[in-house]
Amino acid sequence: MSTVVGAGLLVRHGLRRDRVLAGVWLVVLLLTCYASAAATAGLYPTEKEQVAAAEAIDASPALVALYGPILDVHSLGELAMTKLTVNYAVLVAILSLVLVRRHTRVEEEGGQLELVGGTAVGRDAVLAAAVAEAITVSFALGVLAGVTNILAGLPVMGSVAFGASWAGVGLVAGALTAVACQLSASARTCAAIAAAGLGVLFGLRAVGDTAVSWLSWFSPFGWSTQLRSYGDTRWWVLLLYPALGAGLLAVAQALRGRRDLGSGLLPARSGPADGSPRLSNAIALSVRVHTPMLGTWTVAMAAMGLVLGAIAPQVGDLVDSPSARRLMERLGGVGALQDTLIAAELSVVAVVVSCFALVVVAHGAADESDGRTEQVLATATSRSVSLLATVFVAVVGATWLLLVTGVAMTVGFGAAGGASGRPVVASALAQAPAVWLMAGLATVCFSLRSGWTVVAWGLLVAFVTLGQVGELLQLPARVLDVSPYTHVPAMPVDDFSWPPELALVAVAAVLLAGAWARYRNRDIT
Amino acid sequence: MISVRGVVKTFGTVRALDGLDLEVRPGEVHGFLGPNGAGKSTTIRSLLGLLRIDGGTAELFGLDPWRDTVKIHRRLAYVPGDVALWPNLSGGETIDMLVRMRGGHRDAFRRRELLERFSLDPTKKGRAYSKGNRQKVALVAAFATDSELLILDEPTSGLDPLMEEVFDECITEHTARGTTVLLSSHILGEVERLADRVTIIRDGRTIESGALQDLRHLHRSKVRAEVSASPPDLSAIPGVYDVVVDAHRISCSVDPEGLPPVLEALTRAGVLSLTSAPPSLEELFLDAYRSSPGDAAVGARPS
Repeated sequence: MSTVVGAGLLVRHGLRRDRVLAGVWLVVLLLTCYASAAATAGLYPTEKEQVAAAEAIDASPALVALYGPILDVHSLGELAMTKLTVNYAVLVAILSLVLVRRHTRVEEEGGQLELVGGTAVGRDAVLAAAVAEAITVSFALGVLAGVTNILAGLPVMGSVAFGASWAGVGLVAGALTAVACQLSASARTCAAIAAAGLGVLFGLRAVGDTAVSWLSWFSPFGWSTQLRSYGDTRWWVLLLYPALGAGLLAVAQALRGRRDLGSGLLPARSGPADGSPRLSNAIALSVRVHTPMLGTWTVAMAAMGLVLGAIAPQVGDLVDSPSARRLMERLGGVGALQDTLIAAELSVVAVVVSCFALVVVAHGAADESDGRTEQVLATATSRSVSLLATVFVAVVGATWLLLVTGVAMTVGFGAAGGASGRPVVASALAQAPAVWLMAGLATVCFSLRSGWTVVAWGLLVAFVTLGQVGELLQLPARVLDVSPYTHVPAMPVDDFSWPPELALVAVAAVLLAGAWARYRNRDIT
Repeated sequence: MISVRGVVKTFGTVRALDGLDLEVRPGEVHGFLGPNGAGKSTTIRSLLGLLRIDGGTAELFGLDPWRDTVKIHRRLAYVPGDVALWPNLSGGETIDMLVRMRGGHRDAFRRRELLERFSLDPTKKGRAYSKGNRQKVALVAAFATDSELLILDEPTSGLDPLMEEVFDECITEHTARGTTVLLSSHILGEVERLADRVTIIRDGRTIESGALQDLRHLHRSKVRAEVSASPPDLSAIPGVYDVVVDAHRISCSVDPEGLPPVLEALTRAGVLSLTSAPPSLEELFLDAYRSSPGDAAVGARPS
């Protein structure tokens, strides 16, 4: 027990530090829960319509790959929670990932843990506290999600099971991150390993649900479906999450005992003794620093693009259901349905790629608070160039990622038998102005004060929430229009159109110019 | 070289610099001393154009640090007190990059020599260096550049004594070539060894400034003596403080003007042994900042 002395204190300290981050995250997820649970009954008033909708989803491998199947088509709860059971559980997992990583490897890299380690805190307290905090937050989220669904009118026991499944996913993700954070000395590499781990678990389930059914049982995301929360609930499935979590934690603990503070299990690679002559200005520096991350993102977005592209041709398969056929005819045939799916996928891609831009700007803020910017600005580097270095990587990198995703989607679409001739790449690139605008907003936050960059994340979350919840809650168009993502033409369904794109570009340009003017005139602190 | 007059910098309601003066002449090593929070780093950051001053004037090379930032920075090298490196850049890459970003040329011979003298491994990634080694990276990058001015903010705070020696040598070599150095430090011995002139600040104001010799003249010596007769009453003499009498031994602090009467009195009492030590910089420093800013006149009296 003495090795975890002080863990309780650290958990309290961590919860205090994370109260805004975790709070916002919880509120967004709970709002989505409520909106979905409350709206579904109104969207499908008769049981016949519910069953038809559920069958339509089950008939589409694309949707099943994304959301998991609806095992009981007669259950309103399962239909209402289609997106949330598996797909939004990824957000629950990411919250755990963020919490565990920032209190372990990030602080270890930053040196804060050395300070903590010198106090009367046990050897294992830091890891234990980080995991305990993630579990606490996941548990709270699970309870609140269950209560929210009950309040929104879904069955009580089903809602309890559903909440428990979210808590379970959060638990496993926290434990998985604890393992990942032992592997590399770099906090960024640890994040990539943990995210890749979650990606594999999600992929196993996607393949399992669409093709090799037993594979779903190898993924906690699959368990969430197999739990059958709102059907004939298999309560014993809930035991799987803590079992896997405990196993992962044991691994993390064993790995932790085999390494020193500040190091990883993967050997730290040394770098070149000499700097390349090209590394001679702030822009080259920013490109160099972000290249590994951009590489990881490129691979991830290419993989995501392939999957998203490959599932689009499958939507035509759901013609055997009469209601789906009617729906499709209303939309304009199989081709139009595929277009709708691609457009919907691309709006998600735009948000994901925006995260890249925000991460780059956040690095700019961290460079300033850590003192690296000070060293750059003490050389013959002007403020303008220093800011440009960050903006350049954010904007060009994000545009590159949209291009990569578009190309990968085209390849995946073609490989899965989709008809050629769709402007998927152009449709992906049409999202760029909205992403640039988001990068512009982040840069404005950064230029006002480096510590305010985090506000940009809040804005992104708000825009996404508006998009997800806004229509379900039937908010006025004026409110929905606040989000830049609503203005992008929904290609390939709609035609490309210049006015909204140019307007977005203009706003982005104004934001960046304002940020530049401010950044040149503020103190670097 | 550097001319700062009456500079004011406020952060919200806090006056970090409150009429600070600093004059650095070409070719000198100027020690810049002050307790934590005195405003040393704020001054340096204002000189680098990172902070915009709210009042007073600051000039480097006769140029305005806020407007002519890049022009000034081509001619100087800066080592921050707490060096942060790029986690995925090696030390060697960082050194070369900083040299090139200053507009300097990479001198492979001098670089290798500096790496050897500081015994620094340039292949490690930024995150793998200890505090001392991070500081060495920044120092090698600064010393490898032929700058007219070196601005060093507590540059040796993470170095061991062996490395401090190497640091001293490097400073001496650079000043021999005519480089001017602004050296902010807590390590008084270092400033005493290296600096020609010092400026002592406290609470954002200059308390005193001048050549080390001049400052010494302005301060009292510590006098210890043993006498054969009963010790004379020295405390009545103007300029004598902290008199302690222990049988035939006597010790006190004496202002320069108090020395002749003290020596006279001691001689009359039959002096057997006498030591008089000049104040160390340590004592100057403690004197200067123990006093409140209100009576921060030169040669302030201890409370």
